[in-house]
Formats: sequence, structure tokens, C-alpha cells
Amino acid sequence: MVEIAEVAVSAAELKLGAGPVAGAGVTLSHAGPPARYSLRARDAKVLSDVIGRALPGKIGDQTDGVICLGPDEFYAILPEGTVLPRGEGLAVSVTDVSSRALGLVLEGPAAISVLASGCPLDLASMKVGRATRTVFETVEIVVWRESEERWHVEVWRSFATWLWNAFVAAMPGAHG
Amino acid sequence: MLLIHCPYCEEARPEVEFVYGGEAHIARPVDPSTYSDEQWEEFLYIRSNPRGRHHERWRHTHGCGRFFNAVRDTVTDVFETTYKAGEARK
Ligand SMILES: [Zn+2]
Repeated sequence: MVEIAEVAVSAAELKLGAGPVAGAGVTLSHAGPPARYSLRARDAKVLSDVIGRALPGKIGDQTDGVICLGPDEFYAILPEGTVLPRGEGLAVSVTDVSSRALGLVLEGPAAISVLASGCPLDLASMKVGRATRTVFETVEIVVWRESEERWHVEVWRSFATWLWNAFVAAMPGAHG
Repeated sequence: MLLIHCPYCEEARPEVEFVYGGEAHIARPVDPSTYSDEQWEEFLYIRSNPRGRHHERWRHTHGCGRFFNAVRDTVTDVFETTYKAGEARK
């Protein structure tokens, strides 16, 4: 008969950590609750006028928390409580998605290697200030390199617990 | 891991961010009701399936989200080129 070993941690045992977790050369923490917007428009100029902000011109660029994800798609991570005009009647979509995702922050000289444990991007050549949608293992994330050693990771809520624990598991010397 | 050049992101990106979308440049009939069963079958199911250069659609699902076209060699798996949707067959 085949013996089936117990898995080390079951899904039910996974908990989303609350406070910062420290490992060797890296800390994991929550980014706090910002206002998040999904912004769509074929004509970026119209959208820019509606929300009264400059938009990054190139995919992967970021301007004051507004990330260009695709040719007609932007994602804004703005201070909590920010309300953007909806541009009713215009060919734009301005949607509050604040509750859709959580923001996690990996910071420190070893942060890049924690992220690289599951993200296939060439993170070392990603310039500070750039941001993009990508994956961590099979989970879709948005990665924003806020500074040389500070990485902001947006993840949909239902994946956040798993991602938190995957990060902790990849952090040298850390315990969730 | 394969790297695929996305013509929208203008970057080589890891294969796992992409989803394959079947053969490219197959236009949906404007008026399907005028099609015979054989013609409709041809449109729905019959593909060129070449050994070598293959024109195919890909979507940068976990990136910019866009569909685009690629020429890939089905023997070597080498991507010859990629180009934006709507551009002429390369
Ligand atoms: Zn792309």
C-alpha cells in the first residue's frame, strides 16, 4: 500500500500575516490601503483630461502612481480617499477597484531574490520607477519597482494569503 | 524558458506570461448563413498545421493583455518574428 505523507502546511492553515516579517536582508509588509483605479481609454489624452493627471506614455512606465499596463489600460495606486472623476459620456472607463487587490511591499537588498523565486521577469534590469503586470508562480501580480531595493506587489485578494506565505517561505531566516 | 518578444511592450518577456491563440489570419466569414456545412467546417476546424513556419496568434495575458501575431517554426520552436494584430502577414 502506498503511504501518503501529510503535507507540511494545508491551505486551511495558511494565514495572511498582519505585521512586517523580517528575514536576512529583506522585510515583507503591507502597503496600506490606497485608492486603486482601473483606467481604460483608446485615447489617453481624453482620459488624462478627465482625471486631471499626466499619464505615462509607454507600457511599463509609471507616473505618480499611475502605471501604463497596456496600450489602452492604466492602473492607478493613489493616496487613500482619492476620488477620480468618472468622465460620464466620454469614451473612457474610470473604475474604483480599491477592494480588489492588496499591496505587499518587499524591501531590502535581498528583496529582489525573494521576488525572483517565483517571478520569471529579468528583475535586475528593471529600472527604478517602472511597473508591469506579470506572474509569481501561477498568480497574476503587478510589480512596481519603487526604488532600488523597494518592490511594491499588487495581488488580487483571493491570492494574497498564498502569496504572503510564498514570500515568507522564500525569505532567508524568516518565520511567518 | 522561451522568451517571446511582445510587439506592444517592445520587450522580450517570459513565455509563462503568454497564452497561445491558434493559427493567425483566419477571418471570420462576414455572412455565415451563406456557408455550406463543408465551408463552415473548413472555417471552424481545418488548419494548415505546417511543419516549419507557422503564423499564429498569442496573447500577452499576464502583461499588456494584447493579442498579437507571431511566426514560429514548429520544428525548432524558434520565433522568427512577432507583430501587432491587424498588420499584414509576414
Ligand atoms: Zn505585451
